[in-house]
Amino acid sequence: METTPVKKTTKKDYRKLILEGYVSHVLEHGAEPTSVFKFAKDLKMKEEEFYSHFTSFESIKSAIWVSIFDTTLEQIETQEVFKEYSVREKFLSFLFTWIEELKKNRSYLLSLYQDKSKSFKSLPSDTKEFKEKFKDFASEIILEGKETQEIASRPLISDRYDEALWLQVAFVFRYWLDDRSPRFEKTDAAIEKSVNLAFDLMGKSALDSFLDFAKFLYQNK
Amino acid sequence: MSGKVKEQEAIPVSKVQRAAKFISTGAKVGGNYVKHYAKKMVNPSMNKEELHQNNATDIYNSLSELKGSALKVAQMMSMDKNLLPRAYQDKFTMAQYSAPPLSFPLVVKTFQKYFGKTPESLFDTFTRSAVNAASIGQVHQATKNGKTFAVKIQYPGVADSVSSDLKLVRPFALRLLNMNERELDHYMEEVEERLIEETDYHLEVERSREISQACAHIPNLKFPSYYDEFSSERIITMDWIAGKHIKEWMETNPSQKLKNQVGQALWDFYHHQVHNLKQVHADPHPGNFIVQEDGTLGIIDFGCVKVIPEDFYQGYFALIKKELVVNEVELNQIFYGLDFISDKDTEEEKIYFKGVFKEMISLLGKPFHVDRFDFADDRYFEQIFQLGDRISNDRMFKKSRQARGSRHGLYINRTYFGLYNLLNQLQAEVDTTKPEWLK
Repeated sequence: METTPVKKTTKKDYRKLILEGYVSHVLEHGAEPTSVFKFAKDLKMKEEEFYSHFTSFESIKSAIWVSIFDTTLEQIETQEVFKEYSVREKFLSFLFTWIEELKKNRSYLLSLYQDKSKSFKSLPSDTKEFKEKFKDFASEIILEGKETQEIASRPLISDRYDEALWLQVAFVFRYWLDDRSPRFEKTDAAIEKSVNLAFDLMGKSALDSFLDFAKFLYQNK
Repeated sequence: MSGKVKEQEAIPVSKVQRAAKFISTGAKVGGNYVKHYAKKMVNPSMNKEELHQNNATDIYNSLSELKGSALKVAQMMSMDKNLLPRAYQDKFTMAQYSAPPLSFPLVVKTFQKYFGKTPESLFDTFTRSAVNAASIGQVHQATKNGKTFAVKIQYPGVADSVSSDLKLVRPFALRLLNMNERELDHYMEEVEERLIEETDYHLEVERSREISQACAHIPNLKFPSYYDEFSSERIITMDWIAGKHIKEWMETNPSQKLKNQVGQALWDFYHHQVHNLKQVHADPHPGNFIVQEDGTLGIIDFGCVKVIPEDFYQGYFALIKKELVVNEVELNQIFYGLDFISDKDTEEEKIYFKGVFKEMISLLGKPFHVDRFDFADDRYFEQIFQLGDRISNDRMFKKSRQARGSRHGLYINRTYFGLYNLLNQLQAEVDTTKPEWLK
């Protein structure tokens, strides 16, 4: 019994070592390591050891995205007001905090994803796992929003809302990468405005009343 | 990921979207005109007032959504009452009180950025929603150790968007203010300079302190203290001044004596700034003043301060001398000095504009020509509006391609129009003091 936690921590340490080693390699060389063999050698570990934690560089990148997401969630949950927020505010708070976390890794993210033609291919696969986890989080928010009537249930469309929020996350990321304003103020404004638009669209609006009315006229013709 | 392409487009698009906002407003305004003329065919007696009303609503709606500097321009336009038809004024005055608020998560984020703490941990209490909208930010109320504070938070990105926002407003300003392009550009520069200053909260705190100290001796004025430990580039914390805005205060039916007292404090405040400090709180819109229960006047916003250059000062205020209107030679000199007329004008234009400016000056200088002036006199303001209407509709005036008046005059005029309007709102009669050299 006593040995298991010890084992776990050493295991964790390796994982952490690889993640950190990978980030610093990208930072220093501006590119990914050439091979797993070389990378493992630099970290003074065996290639097999590497494979017991990660299968490829892609899986490392994926893990970094996930860990940023996890820290973000931890962060917002420490804020007491978070529970009292409306869903719109919750999502805003998530994005603001997420951007702060991204900021800590800006150079790393820039060197990997700044080049648009290259990141066009790699970004979707790197963020796959993150996307899954995010969608769970988004679904929770959407469900809560439907309960509090902040989000209108619409047939077919409302099942895709999590996808819409994901697109928004992707938009914010892209915007932030290109943001040159001091303290990334433009990104803050972009988040605020785009989230307001998204939730205004998802909320009950004139469109719903219009559709309802149109349906009524059609059925009672 | 399919979102990729969209994202890249979305960056420039945001600018396009803002422009689109204005275009849709333009379309609506155009629609209003169509409606107006259609109605007029049926009912010839209909006047333009209703049309202006519709236009004002549409333009205001789009401006308030854009927030920031566009809102600021709306405020400016609402100040220059004599330039705008009535319906625009009423709608725009609303801009001084309400704008869509910042979300609380963004407020929290701003605090974390500058203080590394949430507002709730920095203060004992902090209101979740804004208690008031300031032109480029919003105000929250906070308490700590039994003291109440007003905390002003600036919208992010406002500082950067000043120039591009002004470009967006330009076509509307052209239409609304009935100015030609050259004239407008001449002033836009000045506006831009002031707006950029206004986004600098460090400067604002500095100036607030400076002016409130220099004006501390004036009776019946109250200035808040400012707190550096809770202030930053985007946040200003000051004392909360309890009381009512002038409009609300007037609804409580204060005595004439109190009204005069507040009015006099306001006059003295401006007198001291203009003639002694040579820099002036150039934003006399009602939202920046709070009347306390005992009839002292709280002054809360020093975002817009205009420094008055000495040569401009001499020329401008020499105009309010009563006997000057008779002295042709001296008057001509001043008109040239202030760019009211120039050598580019034709002889005909010179005569026309001299006449117009003389009429304006003798009317606007009226309060200075007596020792005590009753600003409750609505007829006086009616005269000003009529003159403004008449001039701006005059063919000769519209035709002129020349920018008229020194750019410094823009904010000084605005300050005096604002001051007159506030005093009129207060229904106050005040001693209109003047500096020694003008007596």
